[in-house]
Amino acid sequence: MAKLRENLPSSRWGRFLRWLREGDDVLDRSMAEALEAPAPAPADALVPLPIPRRLTRTRQRNLTRMEKRLRALYVVTAVLICSGIIALLLVTTAGLPDFGDPDNPANNEVPRHYIEKGLEETGAVNIVAGMILDYRAFDTLGESNVLFVAVCAVIILLRLHSGDPRERLRDEADERSREPGHDIILQVVAALIIPLILLFGVYVILNGHLSPGGGFSGGAVMGAALILFQLAFGERHTARFFTFRTFRIVSVLALGFYASAKAYSFFTGANHLPSFITPGIPGKIFSAGLIPYLNIAVGMVVCCTMYALYSLFRKGDV
Amino acid sequence: MLDWLRFGLGTLLMLGGLFVLVTAVLGQFRFRSALNRIHAAALVDTLGILLMLGGLILLAGWSVVSLKLVLVIAFLWLTSPVSSHLLGKLAVTLTDHPEREMQVDDPSLTRDVKEGD
Repeated sequence: MAKLRENLPSSRWGRFLRWLREGDDVLDRSMAEALEAPAPAPADALVPLPIPRRLTRTRQRNLTRMEKRLRALYVVTAVLICSGIIALLLVTTAGLPDFGDPDNPANNEVPRHYIEKGLEETGAVNIVAGMILDYRAFDTLGESNVLFVAVCAVIILLRLHSGDPRERLRDEADERSREPGHDIILQVVAALIIPLILLFGVYVILNGHLSPGGGFSGGAVMGAALILFQLAFGERHTARFFTFRTFRIVSVLALGFYASAKAYSFFTGANHLPSFITPGIPGKIFSAGLIPYLNIAVGMVVCCTMYALYSLFRKGDV
Repeated sequence: MLDWLRFGLGTLLMLGGLFVLVTAVLGQFRFRSALNRIHAAALVDTLGILLMLGGLILLAGWSVVSLKLVLVIAFLWLTSPVSSHLLGKLAVTLTDHPEREMQVDDPSLTRDVKEGD
């Protein structure tokens, strides 16, 4: 037994235990030694990357006493307001009706009507699509507009180079040289999967009234494909098919189509006028009245918005 | 009998996948630098994904669901090594002295990566 204990540190199990405990391992040890050793003299090729100016610029300002007090007051007020809101929300949550209770106020005749008559009235097999794009299409128009307004706000705040065209050209060249693209592995794989991702997005949008999915989810998938394309192939290739102009035209056309189509259907519906929009045969791809077309419009808006938001935050332009 | 065999085989595959993924997690916490961690995670997660999803396919039987799982494996096998590769490239670019953290066999290779991008 004693012999076994003596052998333990040099045995495999002992070494494994030690590795678990303190990471005593040839690679680790050499790493630790190398980390403690002074840095080797940098060769010419190992010039460190230039650090962008905005990262090195630090705030060097001595705070006066007043400022310190104000800062403390700010922190205290922020914590107080935050905990007040948290307490308020928790109290409200405790007062909500139980989840799943059949007597809840939400379980009134409206959802019953949606579930029982939804298929017949809207023609959409996917009841959720029937709800958000037919009964409550006005609400969805608002949601698409929220996305559009969000991009507009980001454009106002972040969009750069509105002035000197020469400066813009130089900025773009600079941007291109710092791009992470031009990686052959990423490019090959992206070329393989981007068409599949786009196809899947189109499928989700076009089948929005037949299966789970719709404009929002499909548009997000397609926007992700665009972002991947930009990452893999760089700015110049993306600019061939997607510029700020494309974004403007697609967004405005899609939102305008949505608003006018729903205006027509609301007008005829409210006045009991005959309308050429019919539910059609449920389950067919061309059915459910306006829903597929509204899905396409929403998908376009979401796709462009996703890409535009990414692009604006990345380099300050679409 | 066949059902039990399938169940046992599927469970065995999933346990194997669990072991492999736990190894990856251990590596994440044991290693210090980003590149070593990528080495632990990227090598292991392809095999772990294959074993886990293979077990799920066996448990689900031959149906549309298993076909979808095969597609998931294909997608993850295509994308996950690429993302690890890009992460590694970024880590090499941002590390000033990679030779201090790991064994660099070919110094010119490091320099190449640092010069590009």
